[in-house]
Amino acid sequence: MASLDPDELESLRDTELTSLAAIYPEIQQVRPDDPYTIALDVPVTPSDPVVVFFPAVAEAETPTNPRMHQQGDQYAVPQGNTGVVDSHELAHLPSLHLEIVFGPRYPAEQPPQITVSTTPPWLPAETVRKLEDDGPRLWEETGRDMVGFTYIDHIQQSAEHVFDLVGDKGALKVDSQHKIAILDYDIKARRAAFEKGTFDCGVCLDPKKGSVCHRMLDCGHVFCTDCLKDFYNNAIKEGDLASVRCLAPNCAKDRGKAREPSPSGKKRKKPRTYISPSELLQIPLEQDVVKRYVSLKYKTELESDKNTIYCPRQWCNGAARSKKHKKPQGLELAEDSDDSASDDEGGSAGGEKSADKSKLKPYEAGAELLAICEECSFAFCSRCFQTWHGEFYRCAPRRDKGEITAEEQASIEYMKMHTTPCPTCAAPAQKTHGCNHMICYRCQSHFCYLCSAWLDPGNPYQHFNEMPGGRVTACYMRLWELENGDGDDVGLGFAGGVEGRPPPAAAGAEAPPQPVQEFVPEIEEPDDEEDAVAEAARVAAAAAAAAALGHRNEDGGQVGIAREGPLVLRIAANQPAGAGRGGPRGRAAAQPARRGPQHQNGVRGRGQNQQAGGGGGGGGARVAARGGGFNGQRGRGHGGPPHRQNNQANQAHHQQQQNQQVQRRNNNNNNVAAPPAAAAPVAAAAAAVPPDVEVEAGGLDPAQQAWIRQFVQLALNDQEDILFGEGSDDEWE
Amino acid sequence: MASQKRIAKEFADCTNNAPAGMSIALANDSDVHKWHVTLDGPAESVYSGGKFGLVVTLPPEYPFKAPVVTFATRIYHPNVTNDNVGSICLGLLKPENWKPASKLLGVLEAVRLLLVEPQPDDPLESRIADEYRRDRAEFDKNARAYVQRYAKGLVKFDGTNVGPDAGAAGGSGKRSTG
Repeated sequence: MASLDPDELESLRDTELTSLAAIYPEIQQVRPDDPYTIALDVPVTPSDPVVVFFPAVAEAETPTNPRMHQQGDQYAVPQGNTGVVDSHELAHLPSLHLEIVFGPRYPAEQPPQITVSTTPPWLPAETVRKLEDDGPRLWEETGRDMVGFTYIDHIQQSAEHVFDLVGDKGALKVDSQHKIAILDYDIKARRAAFEKGTFDCGVCLDPKKGSVCHRMLDCGHVFCTDCLKDFYNNAIKEGDLASVRCLAPNCAKDRGKAREPSPSGKKRKKPRTYISPSELLQIPLEQDVVKRYVSLKYKTELESDKNTIYCPRQWCNGAARSKKHKKPQGLELAEDSDDSASDDEGGSAGGEKSADKSKLKPYEAGAELLAICEECSFAFCSRCFQTWHGEFYRCAPRRDKGEITAEEQASIEYMKMHTTPCPTCAAPAQKTHGCNHMICYRCQSHFCYLCSAWLDPGNPYQHFNEMPGGRVTACYMRLWELENGDGDDVGLGFAGGVEGRPPPAAAGAEAPPQPVQEFVPEIEEPDDEEDAVAEAARVAAAAAAAAALGHRNEDGGQVGIAREGPLVLRIAANQPAGAGRGGPRGRAAAQPARRGPQHQNGVRGRGQNQQAGGGGGGGGARVAARGGGFNGQRGRGHGGPPHRQNNQANQAHHQQQQNQQVQRRNNNNNNVAAPPAAAAPVAAAAAAVPPDVEVEAGGLDPAQQAWIRQFVQLALNDQEDILFGEGSDDEWE
Repeated sequence: MASQKRIAKEFADCTNNAPAGMSIALANDSDVHKWHVTLDGPAESVYSGGKFGLVVTLPPEYPFKAPVVTFATRIYHPNVTNDNVGSICLGLLKPENWKPASKLLGVLEAVRLLLVEPQPDDPLESRIADEYRRDRAEFDKNARAYVQRYAKGLVKFDGTNVGPDAGAAGGSGKRSTG
């Protein structure tokens, strides 16, 4: 065999290559110009999964290069070293790359040249050398014959027991710098093996190829992706987050048992039952669905924590940043949030108790006061929910959202009872007098006061009439219902009431006596005399109050008013109550008595006599009453029953306590009393004047007086045209 | 439909290797969503000798939603309502516990087990549960009496052997035996 014919050698090599290629179809020819150089990847798949550990970095840096040591202790798990030993059970190690060159004088005179490598180079150099030397050795052993198959088979067999690298302790030690690559390879190889397999999906019960199946990362159960997608998509859509877990029965329970044999229980961490967003993406679920899952999960978590603070900005309502619950970044739930969110299967008494304890910990001043909204980054105080004011600002806790004062409550009740919302802008409107055709003060919509229906500005009254087809609305013929205004404190002084147009029964029924809320700004009670008109008006109001009440003497703040010129009011302070009622008022009355009618001239429509004088007077009287503050009634600054207030004022002398009742009675009985003498030339009304109302010749009656006050009052607020406008604009007729 | 396919498979599985003492049939051949199961009272229980009708109703969402299993035959049992509905309290079937990979075979097996071993701690009929715990002899006696009254003879699934107060469905309230 010393010198064979090169042609013969070539044919020998060709034969070997052909047969090798038949046995190992994955063989590649690496060099296009040299067909006798072949490459082959030999998978390193141990018959049993092998434990691989990666020594901690510190240990790896020690001068003892493990590769240079004896095999025995080299690959053993270090016993004394308590440092972090990172071990993993792997079924697949990166494959061995063989490159075999069958030289020109092979097989007779030249052994095959073999190069062994791995990516990454996890195999010790020594082992590599040994494997490379095995080729020539086997070549010699076979008598310098074709050795290709023998060698490859030898490598495959030694790969099965990881080239005898597994030490006595059953672990393979690999430099930690290769860790990621090796783990990655294992995952990929497992996945590839998985995809080749066939599995019975537990949900549809069909055998499915591994490539359309998903193995649950935590428990290893396999389901087909169709079933998983169906189920999880549906569960996430319905917000049933607790269902987003392994679909196998008792899965978490069994895992919990398997994991924790010790009965100590408390410290044990429950196995994670929910599925991580990244796993859902792997299945694969749609990104949007997973996003929803993450945000819902986070939201439930926040909501389950009573201490969650929400941003006070109405449009935001984000949660304040918290260490306990971290806002999920992208599609990943923060790791810290796991615990509280994972108790879906089985009881969780232990965990919750400890959570409660932490919740009960006393409120620490300062540190926790500053809250920052994680949505809009608004910094606010978690106590008073105002913009952050620093640590050293004393603030009071915010009232509960639902909590309102009795006053606010009453106000709401009143609004409900005595206002009608504009159909366009929803602004509530209260009718003080007149028909039910309303024009919104804010948006100028025409609407029906009874049913809040929008009315055609062209023909608003059709609503109350017969429609073209003979149809009628529920408000048919009810244009004048509630003519005296809606509410017990409005309108009774207006034309309808006194003109013998008794308020419809409905008005009484619909307007039960109610404490009236404030609709005009507070008026301070002045305690000294001033020249300014503004002050005068206020004093006038106060004076009226005093007059009405008759108990102002104690305060010593009795004032009277007198009108000397068309627009000059003189205020007299500190007058005795009696004088206040008799003297100044009498004088002051003269002008308004005329003024009322004058003003009414400009007002068109019916029943304006009382409307202007009475309405104004009513307002004033009420201001007066409020000034006295004895019955909780609040003026509303527009329209009101002067007679009633006057009556009330008079009666107040005798029975202050019963004011409310009196008022109500007046209202309900239509007991129209004390109409302005000049402004309301109505016999019936005049007859009802209580005995102690002084209607002096040339004097002002209380209504007129009150009208002035109201006028001044409104003028101060720049609202005086309410008196004219309200009565004279379209709404009125 | 995937659900139909799975139910058909499960039905085949259940009929081919039915759990001990059970026979399974579709209530209506064209509808796989309603099963009629006849269960022999387990020999080791007080219900032995009786034949109990079970109605298994599979929701359209099955297996994503749990099936509903009810006794068509009246039974004296802490975990079965003592009325003509015959609802069963079975943890496995509670919505929060149901897993799509649970099988009806397992459910039926669980029902059978419930007859062998009532769960008085999670009762539907607390009076019967109390009796089971405190006066086992009385419970056994009552349970056997019910078996005699309702669970002898042909099993009916139309609500006629659930007792005299079976309501409108029962009508005449026939008793199979005296």
